[in-house]
Amino acid sequence: MPSGGLLLQSIILGLLLGGLYALLAAGLTLYFGIMRVVMIAHSAFLILAAYLAWWSNERLGVDPLLSLLVTVPLFFGAGVLLQRMLLSRLRAATLTMMSVLLTFAIALIIEGLLGYAFSGTQRRIQLGYGSASFGLFGARIAVVKLIAFGLAVLALGSLYLLMKRTSFGWALRATIQHQDAARLVGIDTERIAGFGFGLGLATAAVGGTALSLDTTIYPSLHWHWIGPLMAIIVVGGLGSVPGAAAAAMLLGLGQSLLQIPMGTTWAQTVFYVALFATLAFRPQGFFGGRLAQRF
Amino acid sequence: MPNVSRRWFPLGAVAVLAAAILAFPSLAPNPYILSSGVVVLNYAVLATSWNFVGGFTGYISLGHGALAGLGGYATGLLVTKADLPSFVALIVAALLVAVLAVPLGLAALRVRGASFVIVSIALVLILLLVFQSWASLTGGSRGLVVPRPFPGLLRPEHHRVFFYLYAALLAIAVLTWWLLDRSRFGLGLKAIREDEDKAEALGTPTYAYKLIVFVLSAAFTALSGGLYALWFGDLDPVFQFSVLTGSYLVLMALLGGVRTLFGPLVGALIVGTALEYFKTEFGSTPLHLVATGVLLAVVVLVMPDGVLPAIAAGWRRLRPGEQSSIREMTAADLAEQRHRSRQDDRSGPQGDQPAAGETREEVRG
Repeated sequence: MPSGGLLLQSIILGLLLGGLYALLAAGLTLYFGIMRVVMIAHSAFLILAAYLAWWSNERLGVDPLLSLLVTVPLFFGAGVLLQRMLLSRLRAATLTMMSVLLTFAIALIIEGLLGYAFSGTQRRIQLGYGSASFGLFGARIAVVKLIAFGLAVLALGSLYLLMKRTSFGWALRATIQHQDAARLVGIDTERIAGFGFGLGLATAAVGGTALSLDTTIYPSLHWHWIGPLMAIIVVGGLGSVPGAAAAAMLLGLGQSLLQIPMGTTWAQTVFYVALFATLAFRPQGFFGGRLAQRF
Repeated sequence: MPNVSRRWFPLGAVAVLAAAILAFPSLAPNPYILSSGVVVLNYAVLATSWNFVGGFTGYISLGHGALAGLGGYATGLLVTKADLPSFVALIVAALLVAVLAVPLGLAALRVRGASFVIVSIALVLILLLVFQSWASLTGGSRGLVVPRPFPGLLRPEHHRVFFYLYAALLAIAVLTWWLLDRSRFGLGLKAIREDEDKAEALGTPTYAYKLIVFVLSAAFTALSGGLYALWFGDLDPVFQFSVLTGSYLVLMALLGGVRTLFGPLVGALIVGTALEYFKTEFGSTPLHLVATGVLLAVVVLVMPDGVLPAIAAGWRRLRPGEQSSIREMTAADLAEQRHRSRQDDRSGPQGDQPAAGETREEVRG
């Protein structure tokens, strides 16, 4: 039986990790809600943002958090362009399948270009506060993990406010609920869909910066993220943001706790076990999941 | 079939293709080219196997690379650990993978579209994890050395034998696909592709049909992967369980045309050759990823029906007198039409332009 301190540390780290998962899964859920698109390239953009944060720290000497000022608008624009220029051109009937392939292709291109520009070497940001940590009832929590979690909570919170309190969020939710009806009441759904994609990709920018603070990054790292993220949105019920957030916290916690008896590598299997179990016993997901049944 | 030339043309094309494949080992200038030929044929078998699921039912799997990897590892382990003769091991491995495909299919095929693709990707990632970590059985990252089935053969002869073995497997796979295509079972599968709800309403046992064809596809994929293990003799989890392999297969099948018998084969010839070329051209730089990605994006955006249908459509346009067959509207065409009319209604300045493949399918008859 592991000591209480270790257990507490795993629980806290699991929750902190779950926060990041929740933010990224929110982006994926947004894409799926808007267009029934499974965005494989989400985690590739995540790694791209992490590389940009690393690069701005390494070459320009600025704090990686400052890179958010550039990456968030940049990624928002990229998301809008991606939706308007590429995804909206796919045929409606085969949209889900073809969008997977298209975003997969984008992920390959990003991975290849990252490898070409920065080589396959593993990179890590060296920060003054990088190794700072504090104790809490025998658990040691790194400050950067807390910052990463704070970023995730902040981004998720603003996303929530944007969705619930603004007229743009109202239009976006209407578009997600029923596109034809939204168009009937005068919402320019195409434009809203584009902006929704931009928002989704902006979450990847925030997530990538948070990730870069305490993770060693390399171009093919995105494959390690896409599997867990996909598992989270399926377990949460495709298209349900609160469901995805709950699944993210739960699975992040599960992964962190299982690392004690099983080690880091085998602990990752919790995502895949959860994915297969969900599909076998409750394919519409455990939370919400109104949309998933249509597919 | 309306007239003689349309009936004999495909047969002639098949004969030419078969002759070209069979003559290739004698024409190949050096063993390296011959080994590239084996790799391309391996892709052709894999892409055709993939098309059992992708072409008939429209379920796109990015995880078939993992099924091939499983076939390879199962063959290798049966040879090294269970001392089975090489080709017995190959058959047993394919059967094992087929059995394993049943629970996989049961989980993956319960949900449509997006979830299926997610599961197929997850399959690759989880198997990579398992085979890398379970080093005591699989050798982990050090790889698994599979003894050659014909120890006496020199390397070029070895390539030649396996080239013909692959050609035989390809012929069986293509023949099976052709038989399915003409069967009642195949009709049910295609109904699933066009509209799964309506197919189910009309009494097609869609779940069972999808499962059967998935298992069949897995068995052929495993045979190809097992043959690869016997040919190459060295397995590494990173290459056996790579999402890239799955994406290559999808690219090949889509480029060739998933609704046609020889589409995946033609796609494999084009993409497989291109991949071998990229390998020599870009070496170990990651640019081959970019090249693959760009190619896949272009195919998906510009000609999602593949080159063979595009060529066939061009041929029909050149000879307008022959348009006597009734081309039903597929669900895809109908949705496309709805989508298009909706965009016309809005008459916005940003109405998008028809992609190359889209103008071709009007109602005829």
